[in-house]
Amino acid sequence: MLVKALAAGAIGLALGVAASGSILADPPFAAVTIGAWRVAAKAGSLEADPYTRAALARSGEIPLALGEGLKLVARADNAGRPLDRRCLYRIGTRTPAARYWTLSLTDADGFSVENAAGRYGFRSSEILRDDDGGFSIYVSALVHAGNWLPIGHVQTFALALRLYDTPLAASAGGIEKSSVPTIEREGCA
Amino acid sequence: MSVTARLGGAALFVAAVAATAALVHFTVVLLVPVVATHDAYARLADIGPPGTTAPLPRAGPGERRFPWDDPALAASVCRYDLSAGPLRVKAPVGRAGFASLSFHTRRGAVFYALTDRAATRGRMEAVIVTPAQLRVLVAHDDEDDPSQDLRVVSPTAQGFVVMRAFSELPSLYGAAAEQVQTLACATEPPTP
Repeated sequence: MLVKALAAGAIGLALGVAASGSILADPPFAAVTIGAWRVAAKAGSLEADPYTRAALARSGEIPLALGEGLKLVARADNAGRPLDRRCLYRIGTRTPAARYWTLSLTDADGFSVENAAGRYGFRSSEILRDDDGGFSIYVSALVHAGNWLPIGHVQTFALALRLYDTPLAASAGGIEKSSVPTIEREGCA
Repeated sequence: MSVTARLGGAALFVAAVAATAALVHFTVVLLVPVVATHDAYARLADIGPPGTTAPLPRAGPGERRFPWDDPALAASVCRYDLSAGPLRVKAPVGRAGFASLSFHTRRGAVFYALTDRAATRGRMEAVIVTPAQLRVLVAHDDEDDPSQDLRVVSPTAQGFVVMRAFSELPSLYGAAAEQVQTLACATEPPTP
């Protein structure tokens, strides 16, 4: 009986710790999905849930305030397939209203990835635009014409879209799916 | 032992495992923010002493302290401890296309933020206080000539202020980095 109770305690402890580790790596409750993107508008606020608070304490991220802007993160393309370094992605052509936006590529933990071009992201103020004011950013490991965002030396990567000084901050859940950039997979090596 | 008794014993075992796992999990989630030794505040301790403005490292390969920082933004930080008195924070608006201040608790959560759009007289300015300090300040306010200060109550005695400035082009990053160095934070003299 005692052996069984101890075994149950030990297995429970291991399961509980393991579950906590994996859940806190990407806390599920605070974020809403908009197209290919996930946004956790309240992640850095005092109202964040315990999971989000714990994840913040572990990662060391300095969150953006709602009044400053929003951070949207994509780990998969529009069809839901995980982003793959062997593929070419086209991102565009519009973003929700904001004074400025940036689109950058990071590893799974949110850090920039070394690449030979030294290009880690694009700003709305520097990007090459189409005739109609839209834009296309090409994400691939190989050189691409136009706005090329290199994938660099990393196996899994994420894309971060930041909207600075956006009127949408107060109602992030209400962002129209049609207003966020799409992430289209154009082909894979 | 009968089959029913064995099944009952197995079910009890599984239930005990699940209950322990759930209890451990919730305890871990609630304890992590309290015992975390590498949260943002702790990482900032390597950047500069409290009460001074220090530049945050620029996001880029090889820099692995502050995830999800934007390489297009320059940032600086001032850690504070209100036990010595309220903290006055100010920064001129400058030329960056976008500049902001965010006020964080000891645990990193944002409790207030200002952008350059909210600046008055060409600068972003606020006084961070504890609830007790706010009561003292209000008690000393002149009714006919009320203070123009924006007073913000910090939920924790310790915390940090971050200033961010956007660089419109890669070549303007240096100017943005200079601009965030204009963040000034100083403990207020005691109320007479």
